[in-house]
Amino acid sequence: MAVRKKQRLADYGLNSERLLMPGKGPGVFEQELGELEDKLMLTTVAKAVNWAQGHSIWPDTFGLACCAIEMMSIVSSRYDIARFGAEVFRSSPRQADLLIVSGRVAHKMAAPLRQIYDQMLEPKWVIAMGACASSGGMFNNYAILQGVDKIVAVDIHVPGCPPRPEALVEGIVRLQEKIKAGVPPAYEIRGVAS
Amino acid sequence: MAVTEPRRIYTGSRIPAPIPTVLQVPSDVTDPEDILQVNFGPNHPSTHGVLRLVVDLSGERVVGLRAVIGYLHTGFEKNMEQKTWWKAITYPERIDYVSFQNNELVFVLAIEKLLELEVPPKATWMRMLLCELNRIHSHLVFLGTSALELGAISMFWYCFRERDLVLDLSELATGMRMHTRYFQAGGLAEDVPRGFEAECRKFVEWMPKALDDYEAILSRNEIWLERTRGIGLLSAEDAIALGQSGPVLRASGVDWDLRRDRPYLAYPALDFNVPVYPNGDVYDRYLVRMDEMRESVRIIEQCLDGMPEGPWIADDRKVVLPPRHELHTSMESLIHHFKIVTEGYRVPEGEVYVTVESPRGEMGCLVVSDGGPKPWRVKFRAPSYVALEATATCMRDSLVADMIAIVGSLDSVMGEVDR
Amino acid sequence: MHLRDEEGFNFLSDIAAVDYLGWGERHVAGYFGTAAGRDLGSQSAQGFARTPQPKPARFAVNYQLTSVPVGRVVRVQVWLEDGQSVASVVEVWPTADWHEREAFDMMGIVFDGHPNLSRILMEDDWEGHPLRKDYPLGGEPVRFSGDE
Repeated sequence: MAVRKKQRLADYGLNSERLLMPGKGPGVFEQELGELEDKLMLTTVAKAVNWAQGHSIWPDTFGLACCAIEMMSIVSSRYDIARFGAEVFRSSPRQADLLIVSGRVAHKMAAPLRQIYDQMLEPKWVIAMGACASSGGMFNNYAILQGVDKIVAVDIHVPGCPPRPEALVEGIVRLQEKIKAGVPPAYEIRGVAS
Repeated sequence: MAVTEPRRIYTGSRIPAPIPTVLQVPSDVTDPEDILQVNFGPNHPSTHGVLRLVVDLSGERVVGLRAVIGYLHTGFEKNMEQKTWWKAITYPERIDYVSFQNNELVFVLAIEKLLELEVPPKATWMRMLLCELNRIHSHLVFLGTSALELGAISMFWYCFRERDLVLDLSELATGMRMHTRYFQAGGLAEDVPRGFEAECRKFVEWMPKALDDYEAILSRNEIWLERTRGIGLLSAEDAIALGQSGPVLRASGVDWDLRRDRPYLAYPALDFNVPVYPNGDVYDRYLVRMDEMRESVRIIEQCLDGMPEGPWIADDRKVVLPPRHELHTSMESLIHHFKIVTEGYRVPEGEVYVTVESPRGEMGCLVVSDGGPKPWRVKFRAPSYVALEATATCMRDSLVADMIAIVGSLDSVMGEVDR
Repeated sequence: MHLRDEEGFNFLSDIAAVDYLGWGERHVAGYFGTAAGRDLGSQSAQGFARTPQPKPARFAVNYQLTSVPVGRVVRVQVWLEDGQSVASVVEVWPTADWHEREAFDMMGIVFDGHPNLSRILMEDDWEGHPLRKDYPLGGEPVRFSGDE
């Protein structure tokens, strides 16, 4: 059960997610991020740091199930995420910034998952990729954790079963924009242990 | 009946005793203090999913090994018991998530066997085509990831480039890249789209050249040969005793392929070879899979040439949805549609065990039906589950670095292992 | 062992355990269609309710055997009540090791003589046997956004 503290993304001004409509102006997400940036009034140094952090997010190799295969395909040459800064997938959590939980998390795996998350150094972000990581997916049963946000604080949920590689890339791009705008990682917003 | 002396399995065999799947540190080891127990935990750089190996090392040599699984246990079988037959077809795909069409196929074939439903030939041939495409997809993922782990990093990008071509074809035919849910009890869910044959022919022309490239990179590469020849030996008797099937069995010299020996779909009408190699090491398993990819390309070409015209799904209205235009005119069709969608069709009482040659081996499905709209029990026999039982035997007298090569060559997908 | 040595069934494909608790309690009505048409002699063809035939015991353990070079297949079924155990076939077919562990873990069937009968898919300290019919599915009720 996620304990909602007083710090919600809405307090930061992020209320909704909508896709960019072709032919129209920037979507609600981008507008809100723009307002946020003005509100936060980050210093140039902070902005530079955020830019650097956002554009060099190195994911951790945490592929669990089917979504892992699609995650591997974003590394491949067609959907190359190296051009977005995710140059390598670090296998050691100590060297990784981003944990892409790709696949269904069994209860037996929940403990190693939390251990890996704890081993990562701050600042760190989590993307829950796919339906199973976001909410348990089609497996509403005794064996699967119904949503990885029960044990870690998730920044971005990417829907799909499995999500197309482009959907995951969109998720990473949105994360980059959030970071650059100054939104703190999810564990700070939720106020939970990192 | 006289009790005959049991043939000692363990004499002359490399299977560890007393527990066939656990290599135990021998009691006569020189210095027990020198044994280091290392945990290759569920999260590790080699991209094989959540397998945990607890390994006892003496220096670099592996003297003890135990595999711990269950980190991806999903309770598929229990979930499927709660869904109607129609809805349950979405579940098997995710069991072996790299060769998804084969899982769907085995479940759908089991339902059709219980229903005694006749599938139109076009659906059969299209199913064969998609399953062979899936075989290529699975072997490409195997090759890309195994090569990546052994250091041939650029193979990953080459293999995944071709894999994207396969998934494009899959998306063209079915709408989804992976987990297509295209097979229905009775045939296919939709007709084959018009441009599919042209695109598939382009792929069939391109693929052998890509395979030649891979062979040029790996097959005679000195480093690859050093790292894979003579590693992970599994003799033919051991392989059979351990229940191996698929490429692992064929690389040990046993000529057994379910497509030819216990045929299903329309495989008897096709002409394909089954590669068998005698040595039983990692290199032979690699060669078997490379040759299987070539054979799959030939099979796909034959499927394209021989694809019959006709309906894509069976006509039995009690099981299959009627075509949409009929719903406007026929009351009976409307009622059938209603009953099938809301309540689900019923499968007669019975038990059936169907096997399919998945890229990893013999994928089996035991379906028990009580005559109702939901399955009573579905049990999947996953080839990777059995392949992991062979880890202890293969890793006898091997080094730590060889362990990675061996686990890669057994090509186990943890979704299948843990179900 | 007879099957293995004398008939040549050297390959154990699978050990599947089935729990028949509650079999036949529900009447099954409806028409069973086949491609060959309706068999008017069968009771179910008229849409009457029909109970499935009762089973001898609660659990059935199915051993699926193949004879590899030849290609013959046989399925052996062993019936057990809750609490009964069956002899392990690990000595005969070593691949049965993990299959029997899974049957024990999921259904609670004990195999005598198995060298390492422990939980394999669930955690080691899990209670209960998940695939039994009296074990609940688990999971969570789905929350809809309109309910809040």
